[in-house]
Amino acid sequence: MSSISVTRIQRELKDIKSECSGQNIKIELYNDEYTNLRGEIVGPPETPYHGGVFKLIIKIPESYPFNPPKVSFETKIWHPNISSVTGAICLDILKDQWAAALTLRTVLLSLQALLSDAEPDDPQDAVVARQFKENKRAFLKTAKFWAQHYAHAPGPVDKDCVEKLKKATEMGFFKDVSLEALSKYSWNLETAIQHLTN
Amino acid sequence: MEPSTDQPGTSHSTTNPISDGSGENNGQFECNICLDTAKDAVISYCGHLFCWPCLHQWLETKPNRQECPVCKAGIGKDKVVPLYGRGSTNNQDPREKLPPRPQAQRPEAENRNPGFPGLNFGDGSFQMSFGIGAFPFGFFGTLFNINDGRPRPPPFGGAQYQDEQMLSRVFLWVAVILMFWLFFL
Ligand SMILES: [Zn+2]
Ligand SMILES: [Zn+2]
Repeated sequence: MSSISVTRIQRELKDIKSECSGQNIKIELYNDEYTNLRGEIVGPPETPYHGGVFKLIIKIPESYPFNPPKVSFETKIWHPNISSVTGAICLDILKDQWAAALTLRTVLLSLQALLSDAEPDDPQDAVVARQFKENKRAFLKTAKFWAQHYAHAPGPVDKDCVEKLKKATEMGFFKDVSLEALSKYSWNLETAIQHLTN
Repeated sequence: MEPSTDQPGTSHSTTNPISDGSGENNGQFECNICLDTAKDAVISYCGHLFCWPCLHQWLETKPNRQECPVCKAGIGKDKVVPLYGRGSTNNQDPREKLPPRPQAQRPEAENRNPGFPGLNFGDGSFQMSFGIGAFPFGFFGTLFNINDGRPRPPPFGGAQYQDEQMLSRVFLWVAVILMFWLFFL
């Protein structure tokens, strides 16, 4: 690993400790090499993600900061620009709009902003993006339920979701698989079950 | 979407000084790429500070998108100004320090025909040809054997040498006559 990437990460980690107390973001080393980090962002207010804690996997390429870090969600999330399956993120600054002066901190702040402002026309998850555009109520309901289920977001849980998820699991389907099917079919239990049995 | 609000090195670092541990840096003179005190500093027209080696590597990484890493203004080797602090002993332009990328070379094709493409004694016979555009001085250059890496004439005194001397003289006269003819036609 080139020395500039190591010294820059060291530098960034030091800066983050002194600056990020009030910003609901966190970055730390995952191992002693500076190639593998873990991040955390808290879901911003006035979004279905509010208060949820989303863990991020951050991989630093050898050519950092001349090339962007590779970032994906470890915590499952229902968002048009993030894969509900793999956690892969569609964000321009992590691709061709990366600039060497951007830092992990600015990346995490941008991800927080992405949670507030989805861009369904440039989707990473086509199913989520379609629901976002065609059935916003179902989208908000699902995104919030996922945030509570996977990211420990606070607040009363949607009873309809809990009930349908319980029914699906009682039929012998795994919880994650059931939740995925129900979410995909906008909480229509019958179609979700039909999909699961096929 | 746009990268979020603050950019390192600009307003942010002045309001919130970052100590780099050396205690002599308030963050204003840090390179926007390595975040360390800028070495071989250059400043872009948009006012952003970099180490030249850092900026150079950024420009190499994005040859098709020469943009300032901070504000995305146009930037390039000819669009930055080197900074020289007081008492710096070495005022060499930092842009010259880094070996510039090797330029593409266009070596001359090896010239096997001695001289101007007009005379050729190669196989005993000789050919003579030159375009109207060919200025006759080039011709003299050949005849008087200006040394430019072409094959040396045969050793002094040999029979071949004498022959060629004579031929040379003949051609000199031919050339002079032709020149006059061209001039006074
Ligand atoms: Zn630098
Ligand atoms: Zn700039």
